[in-house]
Amino acid sequence: MNKRFPQPAVFGFLLPNFLGFLVFTLLPIGLSLYMAFTNWSLRPQVGLEFVGLRNFQRLLGIRQVAAAPQIPAGWYILAGVVLLAGLVGYLWANVAHWAGTKIGGTVMAAVGVVTVSASAATAPSQGLILAGLIALVCGLASMLSGRSPHVAAQREGNAWRPGAGTIPALLVAAAALVLWRTNAAVWSAHAPRDERFWQYFYNTVYLMLGIPVSILGSLGLALLLSNALPTGSAGRRMGGAALCLLGGGVTLALMWLGGMPDLGVVGGLLWLMAALGLAFNVVSFRTIYYLPTFTAGVALMILWKAIYNTKTGPINVAIAALGDWLGFSWAGPNWLGSTAWAKPSLMIMGVWTAIGGTNMLLYLAALSNVPQDLLDAAEVDGAGRWARFRHVVWPQLAPTTFFISVMSIIGGLQGGFEQARVMTQGGPAGSTTTLSYYVYLKLFQDLDLGYASAISWILFAFIFVATILNWRFGKGLEVEL
Amino acid sequence: MNRAGMGWIGRLILLSVIGFAIAMPFLWMVTGSFKSRAEVDEGSIRLLPENPTADNYPILLNFKPDAHGNYLDLRFGRWYFNSFFMSLGITVLQVLTSAMAAYAFSRIQWRGRDKVFLLYLATMMIPGLVTMIPNFQIMVYLGLLNSYHGLILPAAFSAFGTFLLRQFMLSIPPSLDEAARIDGAGHWQIFWRVVMPLARPGLIALGIITFLGAYRSFFWPLIMLFDEQYYPLSVGMLSLDSSYGRQTELIMAATVLNVVPLIILFTACQKFLVKGLQLGGVKG
Repeated sequence: MNKRFPQPAVFGFLLPNFLGFLVFTLLPIGLSLYMAFTNWSLRPQVGLEFVGLRNFQRLLGIRQVAAAPQIPAGWYILAGVVLLAGLVGYLWANVAHWAGTKIGGTVMAAVGVVTVSASAATAPSQGLILAGLIALVCGLASMLSGRSPHVAAQREGNAWRPGAGTIPALLVAAAALVLWRTNAAVWSAHAPRDERFWQYFYNTVYLMLGIPVSILGSLGLALLLSNALPTGSAGRRMGGAALCLLGGGVTLALMWLGGMPDLGVVGGLLWLMAALGLAFNVVSFRTIYYLPTFTAGVALMILWKAIYNTKTGPINVAIAALGDWLGFSWAGPNWLGSTAWAKPSLMIMGVWTAIGGTNMLLYLAALSNVPQDLLDAAEVDGAGRWARFRHVVWPQLAPTTFFISVMSIIGGLQGGFEQARVMTQGGPAGSTTTLSYYVYLKLFQDLDLGYASAISWILFAFIFVATILNWRFGKGLEVEL
Repeated sequence: MNRAGMGWIGRLILLSVIGFAIAMPFLWMVTGSFKSRAEVDEGSIRLLPENPTADNYPILLNFKPDAHGNYLDLRFGRWYFNSFFMSLGITVLQVLTSAMAAYAFSRIQWRGRDKVFLLYLATMMIPGLVTMIPNFQIMVYLGLLNSYHGLILPAAFSAFGTFLLRQFMLSIPPSLDEAARIDGAGHWQIFWRVVMPLARPGLIALGIITFLGAYRSFFWPLIMLFDEQYYPLSVGMLSLDSSYGRQTELIMAATVLNVVPLIILFTACQKFLVKGLQLGGVKG
């Protein structure tokens, strides 16, 4: 068929897209990587220079802020010996039987990271760095290749023996402790070169704590929605809906006449929701729950900014009114204006936006794929509601949970820009500035394209690691459950 | 279910209450947009406006002077137009170029095809933030800063769209275009007459995802536009908020105007929604 259809056709079809891809995707990626190693600036007076790793050193590096005490060499030797013992014991245990490799490996890798960073932070001792690197590599290797204890126990038909990987891992942890003790004085003599970067990194991760809440919420809503409401024939459904509408109308009219129109509207709307539910079943709820996700954007953030308004926002007005009614003088929190409440405020908004969104739809789809006969069999075996959920439904949902988590983490790491720009200006005191907003600040306050690019590449590195790690653990989860 | 007896009534009530809680901010937004200047400043707990007024909308659209007798110093109507113009432009261009590229990747055999496609896939992992910075510099070079072209062009080509439609087109049986070929159709005819009609659900899904993304886009328009006349709604809302943020009733009216097109789109596309957004979930 290639003979009759000459290849030049390819160019016609691919060219428009490929040119755009080249100019607006590939070229920028290359350019961005290059910028990260230069002092590229929007200020015309700054001459372009290749600065090597300087941007990254400024971002991640550590500087000395006070005289650092000397550490007795004995501590290093002790730490090294314990570390080595742990390493040997760990490897030996794993050669004997492959249990506990995953946990051990994780601990190992973590210790490796601590060791390397600790020794890089203090007077760099090449031996320690080497030991840490070995630990890191071994840990990562067994983490990626090893089986999780559950599976190993099942395969080998015996109980999980925690001794296998864990005891040596504990030894390694002891070594880390030694390191930490010795270096406390040294650590306090040093500070990160770019403290804002670490603060904003912390903010980004902190704001991501809303993610599990919203995922669990989505799961709960999906479980609620996964069973149709057994409302009988079409006639009965419509009859029920009409009754609910009538109830709503009566509530509204009575309240209105009684001088409480607000309560009337609230009550009437609740009746209306029930009526819709009876008429269209769970579809109507799914639609309503989905609305915040579909309409999300700058406009809704400005809406929430008004909701959080300390004086005129409905939350604080309601708190004050409730206080009045009870005889207290209550004032609501200064939501977006205080360092204590700014992050929770953004998280609440985030949960509201995401809870009935795409994650819920994904869970709904996954729930409809749980085989009914599995559930029936479990019920016959006497499994209660919770047992059926825990041992039948939840394992079946594992791939979905994994996918949602990965996507949320990737989104969360890049997120927070719009909230910061629209709602808080990153404040108060930088408490809602995330890494993506930091990139923006570097761009338009400092006009430092090179530094901004370096931040964005570090962000990419985090995202990349999150993807890989979650992918591995996610796979394990599927097998394990 | 019958075993649960009347338990479903409790579930209906629970679902209704949750639905109400989720809808509450929207309710407050709508009623707030009909309140008067004085009433908002009072900070009362009342949900419904005491003296309902529809003036906030004409004030916002510059048809009427505000409470102080001045016309607002902004161009909300223009921003509305810009948002639609930009979003539609991006959607049409992106769906078209992606579909053509997807055709080349799924229907034509050529050397290096899979390698080029892998390159497309690999770039999907890179966060938009990375390319945003150099794209700004590229816009400076091309002289497209502060223009509609600069808004639309970078979003008109997407690796994600190409990937999505390629997957879709792979599921269309090749025997159909074989038949068309025997009838003497060329690639162009096969593309328009055979593949495109069959890929319609995929095209619509990509169209919705793209339109939504463009309508919401904020970072890119924010950094590359300086003139208010080119602002889309998202950036316009920001200047509205910074100039008139204390007039909550205007903010609410503006938010309603922002959200209404989305709700219309939402109801119109219900059918494609679940599938389309699940596909969109891959993009994250």
